[in-house]
Amino acid sequence: MKLSLLFLATGFVLVLLQTTLPLILPLGHFVPDLVLVLCVYLGLNHPTVGAVVGTFMLGYSVDVFSSQVLGLNCFALSLVFLTAYVSSRCIWIHSALLSTSVVFLAAWVKGASLLFIWSFLSTMDGETLGTLKYALFDAILAATLAPAMFALLKRGQNYLEQVRMPE
Amino acid sequence: MLSFLRRNQVILSAFLSVLISLYIIAPAARGQHRADPIGPLLMAVMRPLQVGIQGAVLGVKRLYFDYVALRGLTSENEKLKARIEALESERNRLLEEETTNQRLRELMDFRSEWAPGSLTASVIASSGSAWFHTLILDKGRADGVDKGMAVVSPGGVVGQIVSVTARTAKVLLVTDSHSGVDAMVQRSRARGIVTGSLESGPILKYVKRSDDLQEGDRLVTSGLDGVFPKGMLVGTVAKVNKKNFGLFQYVEINLAVDPHRIEEVLVIKGKGPKEKD
Repeated sequence: MKLSLLFLATGFVLVLLQTTLPLILPLGHFVPDLVLVLCVYLGLNHPTVGAVVGTFMLGYSVDVFSSQVLGLNCFALSLVFLTAYVSSRCIWIHSALLSTSVVFLAAWVKGASLLFIWSFLSTMDGETLGTLKYALFDAILAATLAPAMFALLKRGQNYLEQVRMPE
Repeated sequence: MLSFLRRNQVILSAFLSVLISLYIIAPAARGQHRADPIGPLLMAVMRPLQVGIQGAVLGVKRLYFDYVALRGLTSENEKLKARIEALESERNRLLEEETTNQRLRELMDFRSEWAPGSLTASVIASSGSAWFHTLILDKGRADGVDKGMAVVSPGGVVGQIVSVTARTAKVLLVTDSHSGVDAMVQRSRARGIVTGSLESGPILKYVKRSDDLQEGDRLVTSGLDGVFPKGMLVGTVAKVNKKNFGLFQYVEINLAVDPHRIEEVLVIKGKGPKEKD
């Protein structure tokens, strides 16, 4: 419970950072997707029903601030969580390099899911190349940040687990 | 059965989460929007934090200017040094305030040309995603902002209000690939729709091949979309490409306003400039 609350609070801080960072730093169009990295971390290291609900809530809050269509980021991030979770069940992902690769892959999953919904809603046409460009930058940025964020989250998780189960 | 559910509870709940998301998205396919009971609450919680961060950033900027001023002065005379430091620090502060004042004065002058009900708003947050181009304003329904209102700056068109809570409003920027502003070329009156594009930045869509367009042509709003008043500057034509096939030309544009650098905007409640006597 404590862990889920920690991750949820972290998630909201990340949403806050993500929405205010572009006003502080000259990032242009490319904003690091911190929430995506958190969702991948949850899928790999804390796969519980609480984490699924947390991922959904984070997607919802990103939708509230950015998307015109409610549910878009809920859908994309739920798929990202699912990808990370299934990856962790298929391969032993406990090295920084593999985790970074999963984040890279997850960013592509997010891009593909957004494109899928947009094409379904017929709100975009002929944007495949642009989507690829955005997905690539998104994936590189997220993968670059992943090791540091994973280390911080792991430290927080370990600390709370020690508090919960003292030897 | 129960053990199967227990064993696969994570994967099943993740699938359920995907299905619920699709259920939430579904009305958008019919052009409708589902009522959002949680969004306004979340915005209300986040607003003070976003306003606080914006204030803190301004404070840090001011502190930085003071610090630079203090470090740059090395006068031998201690008394004069202190005096110069104080004056330099004051000068930097005044310069920063003058820039802000100038910006606000421009906004006020611009505002006086439009319907009296128009109001100024500050940007407190952005979309936080490369995929979406939106801004959050510090004014909402309580201030008279409503869905569908035009958002502009002295430089030109910025976007349109797409959702409102009591104290905040979300603006869909003209650079978003889902936005659309009915615009025309000032010189030839050729019409098209300005929208964002993930591939090449903002473009002018649906311009007939026979229409006369040249690089550098100014684009203004046509007023036909019922959102933006007629004659507002949108940008200039950057590149025209008449492909060998198709009904339309491919037109890239440079926007008059960079929405990512904007700090204050004007929300237009009325329609068009005031009639001049």
